[in-house]
Amino acid sequence: MKNVVEIRNLTKTYGKNRGVTNVSLSIGQGDIFGFLGPNGAGKSTTIRSMLGFLKINSGSIKILGMDSVKDHAKILENVGYMPSESWFYSSMKVKDVIKYAADVRGIDCTGEAEKLCERLKVDRDKRIKELSYGNRKKVSIVCAMQHKPRLFIFDEPTGGLDPLMQRTFFDLIEEYVNEGATCLLSTHVLSEVNKYCRHGAIMREGELTMLDSVLIDDDTFLRFYEE
Amino acid sequence: MKTILVREIKLNFKNFLIWSISVGLMGLSCILLYQSMEGDMKDMADMFSNMGAFSDAFGMSTLSIATLTGYFATEVGTVHSLGSAMFAAILSIDILSKEEDKHTGEFLFSLPVSRSRIVAAKGICITILLVLFTLICALFYIAGFIYLKEELPATEFTLFMTRQLLMNLEIAAMCFGISAISGKSRMGMGLGIALMFYVYDLIGRVVPDLKDYLFIGPYSYANASEIFSGIEAGISAFIMAAVVMIIAVLFAFAFYEKRDLAS
Repeated sequence: MKNVVEIRNLTKTYGKNRGVTNVSLSIGQGDIFGFLGPNGAGKSTTIRSMLGFLKINSGSIKILGMDSVKDHAKILENVGYMPSESWFYSSMKVKDVIKYAADVRGIDCTGEAEKLCERLKVDRDKRIKELSYGNRKKVSIVCAMQHKPRLFIFDEPTGGLDPLMQRTFFDLIEEYVNEGATCLLSTHVLSEVNKYCRHGAIMREGELTMLDSVLIDDDTFLRFYEE
Repeated sequence: MKTILVREIKLNFKNFLIWSISVGLMGLSCILLYQSMEGDMKDMADMFSNMGAFSDAFGMSTLSIATLTGYFATEVGTVHSLGSAMFAAILSIDILSKEEDKHTGEFLFSLPVSRSRIVAAKGICITILLVLFTLICALFYIAGFIYLKEELPATEFTLFMTRQLLMNLEIAAMCFGISAISGKSRMGMGLGIALMFYVYDLIGRVVPDLKDYLFIGPYSYANASEIFSGIEAGISAFIMAAVVMIIAVLFAFAFYEKRDLAS
């Protein structure tokens, strides 16, 4: 199985503060990879380093075989990212945000965007400032999926989504992964990892521990938060 | 890049319209007031031209406010200088930092476009809006001259508006550079820069020892009373402006490319 994500000895610090230390991680094509860990453990730092938002101190990151620093823009053409907060330009209408994301990519995503909006029940005529947190999340899902990327990166995607939308979201992931995509799912929800992920890892205080199996029980899981 | 540029122009368009119409209307109102004050202007002009350093600072020792040209240079010149510099500062001080301040950065920077192209799109947006701002204000002022059936000194007027645009671009470049290093709104600092340089220029024209250092500030080559009096600005002021603009813009590109982006 070809690796879509290959991180080797990634270290990122914020001045004197810890970010992540010596993180190595591989995610194979077609995987749904669960990324667990307490707040401040370094999950978002790892993701943001992968996307080029942060300048890493040492190590290397390869996404889809490309270097995350040199081929930054090329990588983002093939990545669909959903940030945890899902903020957009508040005065814009939903349909304009979705079209803007597609236009910057230089591709026509009308068909896929319509399909996604229908399944996620997104009201495209509302302005972003009129949306609840959950509805902003749905817009973010559409923006991350409409161009059918080869790699999805979701940072706490289900917060604010109702149970039906959570189910639809994971159905969509399964469908895209069955078509050859790969997914990295950062979450606090163990049941999501148990149910949908094929591999997983837990971050704690900037260090990564690979899980032998995603089918871990609550006690084992919570031990990572307590220790 | 074109999509980001168009989006940026749309996002700033309301602000642009408010400022260009407000400054233009204020200038036009000043011009139209001239008609009602024309009769009393002669005495006022004599008085204002003999107030020593104060007259020098506002250019009233070289131009008579009893003429529309002199009145325009001293009154509208001040209104436009301050208004346009404040708009330039407000437009550019947050143009990069707002993405982090308003948490839209993660959306924008996850799109397949390099940071340098984003900086370029936003820089071009500032330039386009400042050019349009100058044109709209110029139209208001020309309308005032036409309404009063007074002859517009076209050469001096064009030179004045062009120099004002250059001054706006210089202030915008400084604020653009600051915006690249900041992850928060720095509106107060932007306005402070615009006003600080105005005060520096004003004081520099009053205090004899500072006159040799006026070229440091962007207002030095854009002074309305000097332009309408035919006094040429020194080449050092233009060299300084070019150096400041080049350094500020290059700094914005270089720093923004390397820095961590806040979530």
